[in-house]
Amino acid sequence: MQYTKIPEQLPVMEKLKILSDAAKYDVACTSSGTSRGNNGKGIGSCFEAGICHSFAADGRCISLLKILFTNECIFNCRYCLNRSSNDVPRATFTPDEICELVMGFYRRNYIEGLFLSSGILKSPDYTMELLYQTLYRLRTKYHFGGYIHVKAIPGADPVLIEKTGFLADRMSVNLELPTAEGLRKLAPAKTRDKILRPMRQVQNRMEENRQEIALYRSAPRFVPAGQSTQMIIGATPENDFQILSVAESLYQKFDLKRVFYSAFVRVNDDSALPALPGGPPLLREHRLYQADWLLRFYGFEAGELLSEDRPNFNMVFDPKCDWALRHLEFFPVEVNRASYQTLLRVPGIGVKSAQRIVKARRLGSLDFADLKKIGVVLKRALYFITCRGRTMYPVKIEEDYITRNLLYVKENLPPELRGEMTYRQLSLFDDGMPLSAEEQSILTVGESGPAAGFSRERRIL
Amino acid sequence: MTTVFLCEDSLDGILTGVYEAWGSRLGHENVRLKTDEADTMELFCQYQTVRTDMEKAEKVLRTVRRRMGEKAQEAVCYAAACPDERKADAIYRLIVLGMSMEDGRQAVNCLQNPSVLLVEKLRYKAWHEAERMLGFLRFQELSGGVLYAYMEPPYAVLPLIAPHFADRLLQENWIIHDGRRKQIAVHKRGSGWFLADAGLLNPVRIEERSESEAEFQALWKVFCRSIAIEERRNPTCQKNLLPLRFRPCMTEFQV
Ligand code: SF4
Repeated sequence: MQYTKIPEQLPVMEKLKILSDAAKYDVACTSSGTSRGNNGKGIGSCFEAGICHSFAADGRCISLLKILFTNECIFNCRYCLNRSSNDVPRATFTPDEICELVMGFYRRNYIEGLFLSSGILKSPDYTMELLYQTLYRLRTKYHFGGYIHVKAIPGADPVLIEKTGFLADRMSVNLELPTAEGLRKLAPAKTRDKILRPMRQVQNRMEENRQEIALYRSAPRFVPAGQSTQMIIGATPENDFQILSVAESLYQKFDLKRVFYSAFVRVNDDSALPALPGGPPLLREHRLYQADWLLRFYGFEAGELLSEDRPNFNMVFDPKCDWALRHLEFFPVEVNRASYQTLLRVPGIGVKSAQRIVKARRLGSLDFADLKKIGVVLKRALYFITCRGRTMYPVKIEEDYITRNLLYVKENLPPELRGEMTYRQLSLFDDGMPLSAEEQSILTVGESGPAAGFSRERRIL
Repeated sequence: MTTVFLCEDSLDGILTGVYEAWGSRLGHENVRLKTDEADTMELFCQYQTVRTDMEKAEKVLRTVRRRMGEKAQEAVCYAAACPDERKADAIYRLIVLGMSMEDGRQAVNCLQNPSVLLVEKLRYKAWHEAERMLGFLRFQELSGGVLYAYMEPPYAVLPLIAPHFADRLLQENWIIHDGRRKQIAVHKRGSGWFLADAGLLNPVRIEERSESEAEFQALWKVFCRSIAIEERRNPTCQKNLLPLRFRPCMTEFQV
């Protein structure tokens, strides 16, 4: 084996530097999905919507102590900084070192919890056992009740994965690349099947656990915040349609809570990897997140947004707007009569404003002034709707005409894509309500969590 | 002639003001509530200074809860935390409206009423601010193990965030210090928390850090630096999500 040997005793400071640096490409750093008070014995609670504790220089939310257990690895995935053929400084934590760090950080309110991933040390089983030991100690010896997101290592003994899942809030297995073909090329030690197996296991166990909980309310919880995964975007030649279809089937067939998309950062100089002169494909990543929202909350299907003939997202218009422009036969819709599902398809109307419209129109028919108050973005919606049978201005329902006009209504891109542009919010969420910090960070990072808000904390005094 | 009730800028101050204004029997249209100092005295107004009275405040809050529901109580508490000079009067109008309705719970939904709308907007602002503080607050460990956090928030979020930490850090002794309002929240291990005057703090003790404090601060700074992806560097985005005003009290931004 070629990798550098671990120096015997690195100080924790050095380890933290190496092992957080090596973990930073994992995007799923959020703490949402579990709500839990202190158990009375130890430290910690979980907040449904997640809490951002800081923001790093790249604008991404810092919520969890995101580290690898080790950056040693027996595998040699081409895109990965920790691959065995790279000559990089290596380090490995001990379970207690991680526990001390989590406790020290948590008590000072630096973090919501731990995000623990790892390179493969010796074997998948050996590594998974170490992750389990760490979580076990953290929960039982240190009585840590905060959030834990842990990786399930593909190829590890299912018994180990199950035991670990009872200690974690969220588990994830990274899909890494969208297709089996991509894996063969860049991560030959991993196969689609090897990755999907633990994913299926976690899904089935969660389902059983739901029944156990229905029977005994005090049954232990298995991965209560659900399962997620992530794909690297732009390292392999898959198109957006392929990627979105994969995401769709993961949601449908594996009941995933979230799929994350990670714009490829070229960390290794390797002829198998594409050169990216423009930097990581951030706008593409962003379009995928938008489309992902459309799948999960807007009732869209991948096949409606893209097709074999149009396999990639429009870089000028967001996916919903793009869809609307190609389906003008659908419009205009009458706001006072259209179903909720139909309203959701109108550019400029988000989930919140659609819900408000449905509620408000029971009390009387709505006009454009009402829509504005409700939070509809009229400058986008006006081409697609009527109120009491009338459009807001005399407009033509015609692709060229609308396209030209919408080009003036610049999209609200998230800050990291903005450049000289100065808009505040992203159109898809642009229904008038200010966004919570976690919601805003979704726009740049990925996680959602419907802004469930303060539910528990709301009790006052 | 309008009578202006000048109350202290705090939840209890405003609630006492509501009590006094109501009890004055001058008629709702003839009274107004204000929290700011009387430097903008108006002619043809009579001014009456309200002495904050915890019992009266408590009575009003209980009534709001009973007659107008939890949502209204929450709206009042959060709105009162905002730095907005219109808040006291808006809270008063909301309560007057709620009491006049058969089902007081509906009052918070009457958004066509400007006072109700204002209270709702302020509630949202304060809630948002408090939510951010839940993440941005930083504790330091004092020698002896007490956790101490210092902040200078423009909103009076201390009573809004304390319950969260009382639950999360149940087994810790902690103090959160609002330097702007000279107020502290104190929590004793395993029990509840209470608000107190910051004058109770021993200024020498809060400067004594525990042995490991400096090390954890250094570890945290290292982590915050190494977790950012250089290729995605974006200080503008960082500034939007974490405005500069929060940073002086945050460990990772201190040199
Ligand atoms: S298994 Fe994971 S850590 Fe190891 S080289 Fe592949 S991606 Fe990197």
